[in-house]
Amino acid sequence: MREEYLLAALRMGAGTDPVPAGVSADARSAFGLLLPGGVPAGPVDVAVPPGARSADGTAHGTADGTADAGVRRFSAGGLVIDVETSVSGGRMEVAGQVSPAPGPDARVEVRTPHVGKVRVPSGDGHFAVAGLPPGWVSVVCHRPGHPPVFTRWFHVRP
Amino acid sequence: MPTDNSFAIIDQAAWEDLVARYDGRMWAVARAFGLSAADAADAVQGAWLRLVENADAIRDPERIGAWLVTTTRHEAVRLGRSARGEIVSDLDVPDTALPDPTAAVVDADFGRQVWRRLDLLGEPCRSLIRLYVLHPEARYAQIAVRLDLPVGSIGPTRARCMARLRALVEEEAR
Repeated sequence: MREEYLLAALRMGAGTDPVPAGVSADARSAFGLLLPGGVPAGPVDVAVPPGARSADGTAHGTADGTADAGVRRFSAGGLVIDVETSVSGGRMEVAGQVSPAPGPDARVEVRTPHVGKVRVPSGDGHFAVAGLPPGWVSVVCHRPGHPPVFTRWFHVRP
Repeated sequence: MPTDNSFAIIDQAAWEDLVARYDGRMWAVARAFGLSAADAADAVQGAWLRLVENADAIRDPERIGAWLVTTTRHEAVRLGRSARGEIVSDLDVPDTALPDPTAAVVDADFGRQVWRRLDLLGEPCRSLIRLYVLHPEARYAQIAVRLDLPVGSIGPTRARCMARLRALVEEEAR
């Protein structure tokens, strides 16, 4: 029996710290984030080359795919999605690149649990979204005739 | 693509039933790791998002409850580490096939039984565990002041007391 589970049971038995209503509301609304048939893109443990965020490329990945500069690489369905995040003034910016470039009819959607923003990627697959709340985020690539490819949700600390 | 027995075909009512049954347990687990309310909320939300992204892969709805609690523990560990400034790998994603069966003990009725067991322990175990459970964000230094114990003894004493409590509970379960 894990100690944390024993402590959690004691906490529930005491009834002094019920789950906040907002946490339950977020759990219920997560249903709307399901993408049936979507292809999950898992993190890739290779160094991320510079240039995920911009052509001049100043960010470098680490061996586990999580960069000190906030760059992550995900891959599935023949696509590679590089994502870089930054937080400034309490708002999150998410930028990245889909490789190979997904074409002019593709859309990239950057999702947080409460806000999603859609962008048309540039000719070489770059995209950028600003003004999002920090926290959990996922990037989805929608291509006509293909199931959506979505990155695993990852957490960006404010 | 989802198949007929895929969890992905769940409807909203079934999802909300899952929330009603398990969000309190998930919250309690996240807080048991000493997370702040904000980080505990993120850990619980992270577990639901793991369910969102793994819905097509889950084939055994009966195990979803244990899976949610296990995944909350996993996310709580990760968020606790990142809160301390540690680098946390995105590669460490919970396995949908491996819910922890011992997660079933996270239950209010069982918790009340454990409180009765706790009353069988002497001091300082009873007060220390009570403080530790009811004030998960309390530092050892604060607990030491409250119990008039050396701060260096809190960690070892807590471990010893928890081991005794766990032994009492497991003995009763046999």
